[in-house]
Amino acid sequence: MNVPASLLALGDRIRRRLEGHALAALAIPTVLVLAVVFYYPVTTVLIEAVVVDGTPTLATFRRTLQDPFYFGDLARLLAGESPEVVLQNLLSADRQLGIVGFTAYQAALSTLASVALGLPGAYLLARFEFPGRRVLRSVTILPFVLPSIMVAAGFVATFGRTGTLNAVLTAVGLPRLELLYTIEAIVIAHAFYNAPLVTRVTTAAWESVDASAVETARSLGASPLRAFVDVVAPQVYPAVLLGAALSFVFTFGSFPIVLALGGFELATVEVFVYRLVRDLEYAEAAALALVELAISLTLLYGYLRYEAAHTVRSRGARPLPRRSLRPPSGLRTGSLRELLPRAGLAVYVLVAAIVFLAPIASMVWASLTGPTGITLDHYRFLVERQQTGAAFQVRPWDAVRNSLLFGLAALAVALPMGVVVSVLTTREYRGRKLVDAVAMAPLAVSGIVVGLGLLRGLVFGVEIAGTRIAVGGAVAIVAAHAVAGYPFVVRTVAPGLESLDRSLTESARALGASRLRALLDVELPLVWPGVVAGAAFAFAISTGEFSATVVLATGTDQYTMPIAIERFIGRRLGPATAMGVVLLFVTTASFVVIDRLGGDHGGI
Amino acid sequence: MITVGSDPGPPADPSIALELADVTRRYGDTTAVDGVSLRVRQGEFFTLVGPSGCGKTTTLRLIGGFETPSSGTLRFGNRDVAGVPPEERDVGVVFQNYALFPHMTVGENVAYGLRFADPPGDVSRTERVQELLDLVDLSGMADRDPDELSGGQRQRVAIARALAPGPQVLLLDEPMSALDAKLRERLRMQVRSIQRELDITTVYVTHDQEEALAVSDRVAVMNGGRIEQVATPRRVYREPATRFVAEFIGDNNVLSGTVRDVAAADDGTVGDRDDRGEHGDRGEHGDRVATLEIDDAPIRVALPDRPAGVDQGPVHVGDRLTACVRPENLRFDQDPDASRAPAATNALEATVESAEFLGETTRVHLRWNDRSLVGRTRDLLSGSVSVRFDPVDVHVIDVTDAGGDEAIDGRR
Repeated sequence: MNVPASLLALGDRIRRRLEGHALAALAIPTVLVLAVVFYYPVTTVLIEAVVVDGTPTLATFRRTLQDPFYFGDLARLLAGESPEVVLQNLLSADRQLGIVGFTAYQAALSTLASVALGLPGAYLLARFEFPGRRVLRSVTILPFVLPSIMVAAGFVATFGRTGTLNAVLTAVGLPRLELLYTIEAIVIAHAFYNAPLVTRVTTAAWESVDASAVETARSLGASPLRAFVDVVAPQVYPAVLLGAALSFVFTFGSFPIVLALGGFELATVEVFVYRLVRDLEYAEAAALALVELAISLTLLYGYLRYEAAHTVRSRGARPLPRRSLRPPSGLRTGSLRELLPRAGLAVYVLVAAIVFLAPIASMVWASLTGPTGITLDHYRFLVERQQTGAAFQVRPWDAVRNSLLFGLAALAVALPMGVVVSVLTTREYRGRKLVDAVAMAPLAVSGIVVGLGLLRGLVFGVEIAGTRIAVGGAVAIVAAHAVAGYPFVVRTVAPGLESLDRSLTESARALGASRLRALLDVELPLVWPGVVAGAAFAFAISTGEFSATVVLATGTDQYTMPIAIERFIGRRLGPATAMGVVLLFVTTASFVVIDRLGGDHGGI
Repeated sequence: MITVGSDPGPPADPSIALELADVTRRYGDTTAVDGVSLRVRQGEFFTLVGPSGCGKTTTLRLIGGFETPSSGTLRFGNRDVAGVPPEERDVGVVFQNYALFPHMTVGENVAYGLRFADPPGDVSRTERVQELLDLVDLSGMADRDPDELSGGQRQRVAIARALAPGPQVLLLDEPMSALDAKLRERLRMQVRSIQRELDITTVYVTHDQEEALAVSDRVAVMNGGRIEQVATPRRVYREPATRFVAEFIGDNNVLSGTVRDVAAADDGTVGDRDDRGEHGDRGEHGDRVATLEIDDAPIRVALPDRPAGVDQGPVHVGDRLTACVRPENLRFDQDPDASRAPAATNALEATVESAEFLGETTRVHLRWNDRSLVGRTRDLLSGSVSVRFDPVDVHVIDVTDAGGDEAIDGRR
């Protein structure tokens, strides 16, 4: 039987129309998911700050702003005291910073430490050639996948009363140091996280400096130093600023590190929001979270404005040639100019090795040692706890299983979302910037707020048209993890899509491919490493996520490995570190995947 | 100033493959394509040429469906293609950078378009790929990766890929500009012969005027988003419609002056050369000659009676006239006294400023009073020379009425 040609043509037309709108069709669920699991919960939390018992009021908000406990002497200014008195007080010795002030203070210190520790690394990676340089360069991505609570456990194992630092100090006859529960420990731990970020972005910028620009400057009479100051530095320092801005925002909202290393004594805003949530003081928690969000967003916005005005992009540049780490004229005869930078780098490498390797090594060591020497007791404890633990106690295998399941589920949600958002944000159209901002907001909003919103909204239940809809804690946790993870998918996929030659897609379309087919046939295969890397990121972020999980998993059996570590850490460091090693294993596996398949992810 | 570019013809003419009517494309405040109208005939090799930023690539992208016109209509045959996405336009596109899919082999690249359409003719997909690779002299390369090929080979793969589904229109966006000069010349002749063989309507974009003249059936010269002239390569070269075309296509000497006298060309000073036949017919010239006054020198110009696509009225004494004469039409005499010979027409006394040896000829830059002239010669020239040219070798670009009552139609 012959099908009429017109019918065939109609079918063909319908198929084409469907494919033509497939991107829109994919965008809609993405937006819905984002709205349901992020914007709606976060909004409900923020509304709680300004609506008490059904009536809008700024009272909670005002009380928070004027509470010296939060804002220190600044609160008195906001309460209406004369600026002079406040200023005098600020300059005096017994000034009060308040929680917010302290948070900003530790963030500033942490940023300084991160830049100080990160910049020499960028110099080393961008300007010198040595065996293992590439490996080292890719290792700078590690902090992104290392769960912060695990790093905290490592720091406790290093700086604690019986930690490795004190063991070394006693061994060489020096007095013990109490670093735990000091701001120093927090700052060093933050530097552990953010210095590699500074290194990463700075190295990328430094490598993109065109050697011929420097050569031109030199030929025009500039000394090497002048050429650096006039040509290299202006192209590198926006990246340093980016690293610093991100470090500040991250450390300002840091939670697990401060919780584990500072406790409630050295609490930051985020820790206090968590405490208020735990004490069921939701309105005050929301008000405080709103303040925090406002500060973070203002900083990010300020930075983005700056970046838009100052970014210089040079593509396809010939990078500066790398020098050998070995002085070209030998150690004896080398000039000061040759030896000094290399000697400095040697010192740097030593410091960096201590900061970056000691916590991990200490954690592994602590998990394998007890009062009687090397032992597997801590791991045995985990196994026993699994078998005999009471219902209210954390069972290790359950934590591992939950982490893996949540990780896979979060990956299944975050990966398509991230790819769709990448496509939407790399195409040219009006309002693209807004889409970008809306899609990237989860990076700036604290996990506590997301967790709290999901808890109060979807988990406790929402009434829609007379029907009460409630989701289980597990679903909420997966949602929170997906929201935390998909921006990383975007960050690994979007740069690849952006750098693809537009004419590739156009050629495919001229040859008859629909927009969707061009995406599937041409674009995604070409950015596949980025997609895989994004998947590994999403998985690793999920297994390491702490903030939202701790809010959602409290009192349930949906705890994950990071929650288990936190429960153990206060009481038994040994099992906490053993759990940490298990988590490290899982995370390292993700990292290997990222490194094998991800290639260069300059976007982060 | 001069309205050109709209070849008159009935709208439903089946010989018109592609038509743009008053197409404009704006980006914010800038207008990339400004009211372009043109018709490309079936099987024609049509070239858009102009300096960078003239709107030629945007015009091509509008035809391909990669850009949407801000206003105006675009038709493929009788079909209005406004809002039709590229994949439904039946076009083949070749980009400057080849845009081969790097994750596919040469064969897979060529076969890609056949995923969405059956191969034309009664052949299988594999046969069609082979056919196309044979066509571009790349038989046996099907299993290579694109990065194993040279630039010229990649571009030929791109052409084969674009042609494989048998498109109605082939669009080429500066396809040669990434190649070196020798290869470019060879490849453009190959493209031209493939185009002839397949008889496929082709729109070609280039900034290289020499390339445009060498391969095209017709050329559209663009400037500032507008079309300055559409004509055959010969016509564009010999009878530029505007000063821009005169100066963009090849070297030229543009002269501008006031008409002092219009007379019948009966005094034997016109057409005294015996090598006329060499450049084809000179049908544009009538039997009248205008004398311009430029820097007190009388310059005689043969007036056209059939001007190039221009509705040009009569020339009057007092009008301002712009004309041009090609460097190869200047003749030189090293003996300066030659220009003082009483019978010499259009004889100027000039000084050689510099010379560029180009191999076959030498391009000489001369100074005449305060003006620059450019000429071509095989002789070694220096110092003072006498420059002469035939009034029939002068092409009138433009006549502006000096304000008399008889304004010249259609040029305001």
